[in-house]
Amino acid sequence: MFVHIFANRLRCLLRDRETMFWTFMFPLALALFFYMSLSNVGKGEAFQEIDVAVVNDSWYQENQFFRTALEEASRGDDRLFNLTLATGEEARKLLDDGKIKGYIIAGDPPQLIVNESGIYQSIIKSFLDNYTQTFRAVEKVLENDPRIYQEVFDSLGNRKNYVKEAPAAGGKPDNLVYYFYTLIAMACMYGSFFGMREATDIQADITPLAARINIAPVHKLKAFLSSTCAALLIHLSEMMILLAFIRYVLNIDFGPRAGYVLLTTVIGSITGVFFGAFVSAVVKKSEGIKVGILIGVTMIGSCLAGMMYIDMKYIILSKNLPFLYWTNPVNLLSDAFYCLYYFDNLNRYALNIGALSCITVLFCALTYLFIRRRKYASL
Amino acid sequence: MVVKVSNLVKRYGDLIALDHLSFSIKEGEIFGLLGPNGSGKTTAINCILALLKYDKGEIEVFGEPMTPESYHIKQDIGIVMQNVAVYNELTVYENIDYFCGLYIKDKALKKKYVEEAIEFVDLGEYRNFRPKKLSGGLLRRLNIACGIAHKPKLIILDEPTVAVDPQSRNRILEGIKELNSNGATVIYTSHYMEEVEQICSRIMIIDKGKAIATGTKEELKAMISLGEKITVESYDVSEQQLARLRELPNIVSVEYNEPLIVIKSSKGKNNLENVLEFIKKENIQFGKIYSELPTLNDVFLEITGKELRD
Amino acid sequence: MQVYKLCLKIIKKNIPVMLIYIFIYLSVSIVVTLSSSRQNNTGNDFTDTKANIAFISGEETPLIEGLRKELGRQANFINLPDKKEAQQDALFFREVVYILRIPEGFTQKFMAGEEVHLEKNSVPDSAKAAYIDLAVDQYLNTARFFLSTMGDVTQESLVKYLDDVLSQEADVKLMPAPAKTDVYGLVFSYNYMAYSLSSILVLGMAAIMAAFNNRDLRNRVSCSPVRETAANLQIFLASLTFAGVAWLTQIAFCFFFDIENVLTMNTVYLLLNSLVFTVCGTAMGFLIGSVVKGNEAISAVTNVVVLGSCFISGVFVPAQLLGETTLRIASFTPTYWFVKANNQAAQLTQFDLSSVRLVLSDTAVIVCFALAFFALSLVIRKVRRFS
Repeated sequence: MFVHIFANRLRCLLRDRETMFWTFMFPLALALFFYMSLSNVGKGEAFQEIDVAVVNDSWYQENQFFRTALEEASRGDDRLFNLTLATGEEARKLLDDGKIKGYIIAGDPPQLIVNESGIYQSIIKSFLDNYTQTFRAVEKVLENDPRIYQEVFDSLGNRKNYVKEAPAAGGKPDNLVYYFYTLIAMACMYGSFFGMREATDIQADITPLAARINIAPVHKLKAFLSSTCAALLIHLSEMMILLAFIRYVLNIDFGPRAGYVLLTTVIGSITGVFFGAFVSAVVKKSEGIKVGILIGVTMIGSCLAGMMYIDMKYIILSKNLPFLYWTNPVNLLSDAFYCLYYFDNLNRYALNIGALSCITVLFCALTYLFIRRRKYASL
Repeated sequence: MVVKVSNLVKRYGDLIALDHLSFSIKEGEIFGLLGPNGSGKTTAINCILALLKYDKGEIEVFGEPMTPESYHIKQDIGIVMQNVAVYNELTVYENIDYFCGLYIKDKALKKKYVEEAIEFVDLGEYRNFRPKKLSGGLLRRLNIACGIAHKPKLIILDEPTVAVDPQSRNRILEGIKELNSNGATVIYTSHYMEEVEQICSRIMIIDKGKAIATGTKEELKAMISLGEKITVESYDVSEQQLARLRELPNIVSVEYNEPLIVIKSSKGKNNLENVLEFIKKENIQFGKIYSELPTLNDVFLEITGKELRD
Repeated sequence: MQVYKLCLKIIKKNIPVMLIYIFIYLSVSIVVTLSSSRQNNTGNDFTDTKANIAFISGEETPLIEGLRKELGRQANFINLPDKKEAQQDALFFREVVYILRIPEGFTQKFMAGEEVHLEKNSVPDSAKAAYIDLAVDQYLNTARFFLSTMGDVTQESLVKYLDDVLSQEADVKLMPAPAKTDVYGLVFSYNYMAYSLSSILVLGMAAIMAAFNNRDLRNRVSCSPVRETAANLQIFLASLTFAGVAWLTQIAFCFFFDIENVLTMNTVYLLLNSLVFTVCGTAMGFLIGSVVKGNEAISAVTNVVVLGSCFISGVFVPAQLLGETTLRIASFTPTYWFVKANNQAAQLTQFDLSSVRLVLSDTAVIVCFALAFFALSLVIRKVRRFS
């Protein structure tokens, strides 16, 4: 009997084009859109060698220290600048055309000409500040004791990098991956469309079809579980494809713990399906209203989990709004993926999964309480 | 007794849907449940099927009390519900196979039964169609096939012919007779008296949740005083003539809505003859004249004072 | 005017769904307006960019205090809870871009000339991290320079030297920018129209089309004494009314979010552009309504087409952050040209023909799209009718 109901249910759901679209094609399309629009955003943050011009006047030519310092900074793989020598007019033109971030006129102090304030302009300025400051320091030391000329220059050539990146305890803080996690979480919750169908098609007071099934010599919960298993199988397969697509086609990093990522997806899928079943069992309204509730809750949940605006998530996280944090399955799921990617321990992940499991069990229990009814007061 | 219902009461708030309804159905019958819309037919059926809670009364099916867990009883019931209950995503064949599979575990037997059901409702050429592509009549036939494929002993059909074209309707009615002759007991609800008259061996008329009469159609008709209804088309008849007409023997009532005179007479012989003689004698000009025997509608009308269909 | 009235009734039925898009438009616009006005610095003087960093020190010595003070020029200090996870969170969500940790005993070892270093967690390879690195290294290298060349110096005098030397600054001149390169926040409310307005237009148009594509209904209308051209004209007029109302509503919201620029010439071009885009959206709705059958399918297609084109055309994410391939694909959608024209219109400072031509040529591309959509749907309808 299980196989009979299960197999037929699979066939039914797979042919339900609308549900298949929203649970499968839509998240895939969104993932692709996310990728196309976000894949370059990270580069906006990354350091790129700064295009700078220097006015090649006699001051620049004669001042060997300054020239060396600038040339040093424009050499090698980890250079700061792409340096261009130019006349004052050329440099001005380059700046106007947006070809360089700014140009330098050597002097004491050196002058920087830019046309906006920004991080790159600030870096150029820092570099020039440093040059002037070092020059001042040398002057100061030699003033004190002119004999140690040689020591001064030895010491100057001996610049060190004092800051070291601490050994990473987990993934890189690349926050674009988070958008994909919220997307997967949202897709998990879209499993509710399946759950809604299952709960609708088993309650005799909602559809004639359900009444018909209630009359068949099959235990109601058994019928419900058989068909819900079919729904879960389809949704899980969809989620696995989505996951594989995001991981292997779009190359989004999920951290080293693939097993846990799968586990999270499975739990998320179950949560989604039973969320839909719960809404369908509890809300005695038309199908349109139920779909509205499912989409509304999922979208608001996704928004609060940071899918539209990542800061939203951090505000809730850091400002300690536990209610919005722990009751939002989309957030718990995205956060679980985030923990797997970003942290080296599983403590917070376990908390997330624990909370999520509680919510899921609650959905299951309430669904059971509502659909176990055998006889109805009215049909 | 296949079904025994005693003193069934069902209330929806203040509304009494079923009012101490009692009846029993013997094996091999086609039992008709006739009543206007909202009379409680479907409610009664849903109570028998243990879908609805009821306030009072007992229901036995195949000699056992019916509960939602009576799976062995459900096994032998076939139900064709008023609303078409099929999966839109499954084809005609798959739908019948699905519902049949809920009852029949043996795969070979199931396959045979499904084929027979398709044959029975004559949907062979539509077997790979989805329900959306079927017309209303075909859809009803699919609904019936889904209900009866597993060869149940008791078949309940709740208004299976609503919104069905005449050809399909006749096919369905013939089919029900066939099922019955193959040994199934049938409960058939309808508000079409012609259908009930055509196929049912015993009929219960219900109104406002109460059984108002039960019996074969002959018995039912025998219950009422009306024997014959004669209609005469005439433009030329006086009040005096009508009054004299009323005095003829056996005449129960005479009404004149120009141009029709409706004469109802009680049971007896020569009613039509008397009327014809009277018309001749009075020299009344008339166009058509025809006589009808009482219908179930007349039965209903006489008992409740209103028409079966409004 | 029965057909006209019917169309408007169909539109009215769809208003609740359309309100969802208005709601999304409003909430996103509010968030973006608030956050972009925060970032705007329109002064005439150069200001150092400040990176948000966390400064976590295991000790408090004059040297470290000096470093903190010195960094104040390049950094805003953010206090983070003393939990590793919270600090990592802050870095991931960019509350800080750099966490600097000074180990206990650093000063002592540093003063003694031993090999020491500080630890950071930063957004790898980011410009801001490089900026802070530069500043920290400068402070400590200068300190080491003094230590190695001046013999015995106390920490206090060292810090004094540093303070003196590091106050030196280069001279920065800010030239007036010829063009604002970042107009994302400025025209956002106009660009975002590509999402809300086109969703609404496509939805409404598709609903009207779907109603009239219904074979029974179409046949019924053909049987009535209304001539087909008249019926089509009424549908056209109704679409026009609908598009007009939708456009005006949307424009009203745009004005609200961009109130200070309403009376500029730039706004005239933005308006022109949005009007043309409205026509194009209507044509697109006409096309989708002609091709796609069924309400569910229409909402699916609408979502994918509109969301997709907005994602890749720079509506949600600024166009300059999009990849070249993405933009090339996007250039096959009218949304791309709409956004491009808007961005250019907002940058206009002169309104002579050569400057304006750039905007107008993009607008012209949108007109072409509109014509193409319209022609295509007519062809499809013609083919369908005879099949």
